[in-house]
Amino acid sequence: MWLWFSKLGSPKWFYELSGRWLPWLTAAMIIFMTIGLVWGLLFLPPDYQQGFTSRILIVHVAVAGTSLAFFPLMFVAGTITLVWKMKLADMVAKNAAILGAWFSFVTLATGSLWGSVMWGTWWEWTDSRLVSMLFQLFLLIGVISLRSALEDSETAAKACALLSIVGCINVVIIKYSVEWWNTLHQASSPISTDSSSPNGPEFWIATLIMIVAVYLFLSVSLILATRNEILERERRSQWVRDLVLKS
Amino acid sequence: MLTAHRLFCARDDRVLFKNLNLELSEGQIMQLRGSNGSGKTTLMRILCGLNDSYEGSIKWYGQEIADQAVNFFSSLLYIGHRVGVSKVLSPVENLRWSCSLKQRVDDEAIYRALAEVGLRGFEESPCYTLSAGQHQRVSLARLIISPARLWVLDEPFTTLDAKGVAQLENLLQRQAQAGGAVLVTTHHRLNIPELTVLSLG
Amino acid sequence: MSAKQTTTSAAFLATLKRDLLIAIKKKNDIVNPFMFFIIVVSLFPIGISPESDRLREIAAGVIWISVLLASMLSMDNLYRSDYEDGSLEQLLLSPHPLFFLVLAKNISHWLVSGLPVVLVSPLLAYMLNLPAQAYGTLILTLLLGTPIMSLIGSIAVALTVGLGSRGLILAVITLPMSVPVLIFGTLAVQSTLNSLSPLGYLSLMLVMLSVAISLAPLASAAALRISVN
Repeated sequence: MWLWFSKLGSPKWFYELSGRWLPWLTAAMIIFMTIGLVWGLLFLPPDYQQGFTSRILIVHVAVAGTSLAFFPLMFVAGTITLVWKMKLADMVAKNAAILGAWFSFVTLATGSLWGSVMWGTWWEWTDSRLVSMLFQLFLLIGVISLRSALEDSETAAKACALLSIVGCINVVIIKYSVEWWNTLHQASSPISTDSSSPNGPEFWIATLIMIVAVYLFLSVSLILATRNEILERERRSQWVRDLVLKS
Repeated sequence: MLTAHRLFCARDDRVLFKNLNLELSEGQIMQLRGSNGSGKTTLMRILCGLNDSYEGSIKWYGQEIADQAVNFFSSLLYIGHRVGVSKVLSPVENLRWSCSLKQRVDDEAIYRALAEVGLRGFEESPCYTLSAGQHQRVSLARLIISPARLWVLDEPFTTLDAKGVAQLENLLQRQAQAGGAVLVTTHHRLNIPELTVLSLG
Repeated sequence: MSAKQTTTSAAFLATLKRDLLIAIKKKNDIVNPFMFFIIVVSLFPIGISPESDRLREIAAGVIWISVLLASMLSMDNLYRSDYEDGSLEQLLLSPHPLFFLVLAKNISHWLVSGLPVVLVSPLLAYMLNLPAQAYGTLILTLLLGTPIMSLIGSIAVALTVGLGSRGLILAVITLPMSVPVLIFGTLAVQSTLNSLSPLGYLSLMLVMLSVAISLAPLASAAALRISVN
């Protein structure tokens, strides 16, 4: 177990393993993404309440669901960085923060696009999910800016790991408190969130495919970014030199 | 009493030292030498437990320092580049706090130590009115008060005048005679007969 | 050796006393954030509306947000001068649990920066036309909320203490984390205004405070060890 763990922590080992996995993951991502997007956006029957707008929701729900995975991921990576000083965990965490910020941003963008059609407004404070996503984005930006401010890479790794752990706990508290805050203001809002989820099995299947596609997209981009990071940080090591010479 | 085994430390891809072994025993004064940037300060901070980005093992009386931090910290006195003297407080107030982090101390001992390092008359004046050398002297007063067995001093001589240098050399020897140990970095030529030198870089 | 060693509580008290002493001697560090708080609150009626009905609605939010902003300013000198003069290293090398020493610093910081704000808040609430029945709740929420902010902010300050030019990174990290405190603080006042009991919110804030007291100093201590590397 221990051996396996320390092996997993070796950037070289990860680079080789991920190199073997990458084509398969990419292929699976393309297949799911194509099915999800073509079917979901072009052929899915319109919802009886929302019409064709429900198609935006497929992308939005998938991206939003994936965005929620980032802080837990960074929590785990941060714990590994602090406890076992594993460099690989930090490389993943660094890119997870950046990707997470983009995912949160896309969630907010698709959410307000959908909202602009359904609610007639681009931004709605009474939707607790949008608000807590906004604050998740702020927290992720905080982690990114802390890393860019700290010069020493080891200090930056540990500091960001700690902030990610604190941030993850905080995101959960923010999520619940914003929801609470919202239910109290709901009375004054003309919008009811109940009608926002369209029904029909086709919709859910399409969403499910899209969620798998987005998760695959996340894994592929995280692996690609981490591989880049590995090459950059290990540029002085022998195996990276050999690799460069070979190509 | 303090042994370091196969220490390795790299800072941002630059190897500061590798396979470094060090043994400090009771009654020993060890001077760390090396050019600027050779990792003297880093090594000291690693040995004190302030810096944990190293590989290898550091033992205090045969036991890893990480496993007995409380025990190790109560026998250690570290004075770094930044001497740990707050500018707004007076020397007495500074010492009251920094000594009470480690041991019980009465004001009388503090006044006596301050007089010994030549700060009589400055006990109550705020430290921003004092010179850099006097700040250094405030921190040296801690050496007199502290019963710590291990002293780790990073460039303690830089701002001292000739009299201060002689006094500090005297203090170091007193510590060694009492069975303590000293690890010190300096570019000064130390006037201490039984000196061990460790060169870095 | 052991006979001369201090107890943890003595080290805790010595640290508390030292930080209060420094605060008293460096009055600017206390007075400026405090004045900032009062000035920001006074700007709201000018920027939004002098009408008493409008002010009544926003009073609690205005005071709470100004408290958060002012706490960002005062946080900055929690560890900075100690870092610069080397006292922080001495703190880290103490044989006593860093948890308590950090807690002592946080308490002293709250006493000189949080407490004055709480004490002056009824005056500002009056100026913002908050109905008198809500004063008690406002003070209680501030009494519970400002220490939470000190404790959370301490983590961020500890993480950024080694930065030469820190700018506003402290606020970028800390302010998003203050959302729950802001929500419960203002909701409690709001519910008093609607003649409902604020006890639920207050007890939630009490829970948050006790969690913060028991966990945040641990995180701050870890952050200090990371920063002073």
